[in-house]
Amino acid sequence: MFGHTFSKRSFTRLAMALSAAALFAPAHAQQGPIKIGLTTAVQLQVGRDTQEAAKIAIDEINAKGGVLGRKLSFVVADETENPEVGINAIKKLTADEKVDVIVGGYTSGVTLAQLPHISSAKTIYLGVGAASPAITAKVKQDYENYKYIFRTGPINAVHQAKGLVEWISGHLIGELGLKKIAIIGENAKWVQDLVPVLRKGAVDVGADVRMVEFFDTTTSDFSPLLSKIKSSDAQFLVVVLSHASSDVFAKQWYDARFPIPYGGIDVKSQDGDFFDRVGGKSISQVAVNFAVRAPLTTKTVPFFDEFKKRTGRVPVYTAFGTYDSVHAYAQAIERAKSFDTNAIIKELEKTSMVGVAGYLEYDETHDVKAGGKFMNLLFAQWQAKGERVVLWPKSLRSGNMIMPPWLTK
Amino acid sequence: MQLKNLDRGGALVALTLMAVLPLVFDSKYLMGVLTVAAIYGIWSVSWDFMSGLTGRENFGHSLFIGVGAYAAGFLNTTWGANAWWGLPAGMLAAVVFALIMGIPTLRLKGPYFALAMLSGAVIMQRLMLIFWKFTGGEEGINGIEPLIRSPLYFYWFVLGMLVFTAALLGGLARSRWGLILKAIRGDEATCQAAGLNVTYYKIASLVISAAFAGMGGALYAHYQLQVSPQLFAVVTSITIITMVYVGGMSTIYGAIGGALLLTLMTEMLRDFGEWRLMIYSVALILILFFLPQGLVAPTWKKIRRLLARGRS
Amino acid sequence: MLEILIFGAVTSAIYAMLAVGFTLIFGVARILNLAHGSFYALGAYGAYVLTTIFKVPLIVAAPLVVVGVALFGMVVERVLIRPMRKSQLAVLMISLAISLVVEQALFLTFGSEYRNVPSFIDQKYVIGGVDVAGQRLLTLLVSVVSISGLYLFIQKTRLGSAILAISQDPEAAQYMGIPSDRIFGVVMAMSAGLAALAGIMAGPFLSVQPSMHLLPIVKAFAIVVVGGLGSIPGSIVAALMLGYAETLVAYGISTSWTEIVSVAATLLMLVLSPAGFFGKRAAF
Repeated sequence: MFGHTFSKRSFTRLAMALSAAALFAPAHAQQGPIKIGLTTAVQLQVGRDTQEAAKIAIDEINAKGGVLGRKLSFVVADETENPEVGINAIKKLTADEKVDVIVGGYTSGVTLAQLPHISSAKTIYLGVGAASPAITAKVKQDYENYKYIFRTGPINAVHQAKGLVEWISGHLIGELGLKKIAIIGENAKWVQDLVPVLRKGAVDVGADVRMVEFFDTTTSDFSPLLSKIKSSDAQFLVVVLSHASSDVFAKQWYDARFPIPYGGIDVKSQDGDFFDRVGGKSISQVAVNFAVRAPLTTKTVPFFDEFKKRTGRVPVYTAFGTYDSVHAYAQAIERAKSFDTNAIIKELEKTSMVGVAGYLEYDETHDVKAGGKFMNLLFAQWQAKGERVVLWPKSLRSGNMIMPPWLTK
Repeated sequence: MQLKNLDRGGALVALTLMAVLPLVFDSKYLMGVLTVAAIYGIWSVSWDFMSGLTGRENFGHSLFIGVGAYAAGFLNTTWGANAWWGLPAGMLAAVVFALIMGIPTLRLKGPYFALAMLSGAVIMQRLMLIFWKFTGGEEGINGIEPLIRSPLYFYWFVLGMLVFTAALLGGLARSRWGLILKAIRGDEATCQAAGLNVTYYKIASLVISAAFAGMGGALYAHYQLQVSPQLFAVVTSITIITMVYVGGMSTIYGAIGGALLLTLMTEMLRDFGEWRLMIYSVALILILFFLPQGLVAPTWKKIRRLLARGRS
Repeated sequence: MLEILIFGAVTSAIYAMLAVGFTLIFGVARILNLAHGSFYALGAYGAYVLTTIFKVPLIVAAPLVVVGVALFGMVVERVLIRPMRKSQLAVLMISLAISLVVEQALFLTFGSEYRNVPSFIDQKYVIGGVDVAGQRLLTLLVSVVSISGLYLFIQKTRLGSAILAISQDPEAAQYMGIPSDRIFGVVMAMSAGLAALAGIMAGPFLSVQPSMHLLPIVKAFAIVVVGGLGSIPGSIVAALMLGYAETLVAYGISTSWTEIVSVAATLLMLVLSPAGFFGKRAAF
């Protein structure tokens, strides 16, 4: 058949050429790019910022040649705030897109529902948005099945509670002398984990906790709740909000010229445009941020600037976790010199790098370490014209605290 | 006679296709989507059996689904029972609630019945959230065990349950039962006068419908490995009604077709990202507007006619 | 106590505006319009768009939005609903699909975050020691005025009598030469306009996001059934009952229980007296 066309000589030449090519081609080039699966609530700010931060990290790494010769790429799956949709997102990423790693998360309930499916797909997961300690608790309980789960951010609910207690002790009681507090939180898992620790901690530092109440995440009329708080005789209202209608709460608080200032954890208030969205009615609210544009680490300011350059806005907390996760993952692969999942996990556990909000290290349950040189809670207040002023910790203070305009006479 | 054989043949072809499709495409993802579609099929068939035949549209079908799922969930996690107990438990729980809801609402018709059943589902959903200390609240119950570890065998098992449900309910619908239910839709008073125990048939049809919905709920719980109050949501009930509508009301097999079609459509539209639900809703309007008899059943009837004519 | 009285009244007022429109279109055209909540949403978003993006003063924007949504309602009825009128379930389903399309359109245009609708009144009033936002009081006032206006319109004008006639006996009305179809359009417009007005008034202090149409329609449905499908006085009474029941529960027990109370009340009503307070065919 081949006869003259394919003489023995040309065949040898072909074989030589092919083996040469095989020798010089990078070993993994045929495998294509490393796929990162992002799962997040796409329509919310936390979701958009997750994607942007991933892009920034991926671009940086790819500009330096990728990871062990392979570039990074990503796909997005919408998990909304609904566990069922979240499970479908994981299935889509693992079974259909066959991603190498999953980064994302926002609602603790969704993440918890996704865990068994992530585990059975034997894919590494780096959480950036959900705070319930129950997520990483499984790592210790059942290492073999759940070793794939890591949390890069935020610091878990219990650590957050401790951060709140520090602020109450140092700032509210220590500097402002406000001892009587009321605590309200939305009825979500991470809040249920957080509030008992908060209450006990507050009492231990000398606060007089006048009331503690949970309310439905979907509540849209807060008048009954505000009325209860008013009659509790509190001097400051500590809130713990994420999915709830923070916007509506702020507006109703302002409209009623509520005589008690408020602040605490309010995820929606981290959005750069929150102040404008509520028509300026969140003035004097103190809200937790995990990072601000200040040199918390060497990476903080460059990251904020790059993010602002690309999107025109200030990033929310999921961005920090995402950016750090992608870098941590890439570095783990480089150290492991392999793409084997178990090898990567071993290296991820040894992560010790500079992150955006603080130093990044994981503890023995793959949970992000908090406090000190690691990530901390920062407290910033909305002041006139939508300016955010950092009040706590003292070392980062950029201004004085103000009271709601109708309380200053 | 011919038509019946064609029906059976068609069903066999469809079933074989469904069973083999994920293998042909070697896609775990497709298998997952089809598993969910099959479970929706069970829910849709069970809805069609009662509401399609008696004309009492049940806007609270999610109640039976939810209690079935939660019963299975509780049994498996809190009480540590073997996962297989979830199926009968789910059916039993649903039956109990069918009696609770069904008996007081006997004399209700049309929008009143729809609203009453919807209220039941909403109340249940709220209760699950209010008593979050026991039910897990918004996050629901996690850590449910899968019924069958292999996704493929589980998928075939669900298909089997779907066939069982369709055969049983379809058979009932075609028998004297179906006739009586349709008669009750037409003129209840006359049926009563004719000596039929209308109450019994109304309750029985609701109970049977609920039992299979509950079973489907249990299957779903052991597939998602998680249950949440979302299962009780109005959206769930309405999705199922839409599926039956698109498939062709009161045809039983139409319901399965509708479930498949809409589930696949939802997944295929994922590539459109944010536009997904918009396209889905517009498509829905078009179907409702131009195909009032649904899509699946009339299409099959046409195919059937062609085949029958081809033979003779 | 006074708090409950005042806040209960405001809640009832909003519900009444939604329920009256819903029961109106049902009473006249036998249409269960599940897209009614969408008119409420469009009212709020319309106000947001005109004031925030086009910088139109609220006092001008409000009537514009009401008329706009009313026209939209008319078009929807003519094009999508009227052809489906043979089957009540079909109307239900297509109105539902319409509400989904509107929700998605709002979501794609504005995103899922809450939007800010400006208030007419920004001050706080103190009534008997109770802090009440001015906007809430205004909403109460607007509700009373608009519903009274509607009621008078129906009782005193020719168009109103035509509407009454159709609702009482559609066939006889047709024999008398009353153009039912055109009247349906008008009634839909009024119903939509009223819902939009509710959205404009309540938007400033309640949530404005794409899925805001859902809860109001479920509540309106419940109220209307309890009050009697097709009866305006029935809807008002039921709205008051529901509004106060919810407020009492919210203050007395906790906000988590309000939903259950209203739904359970509906269920109880249905089981005990399905035709509602004022019956199915009560003249209004």
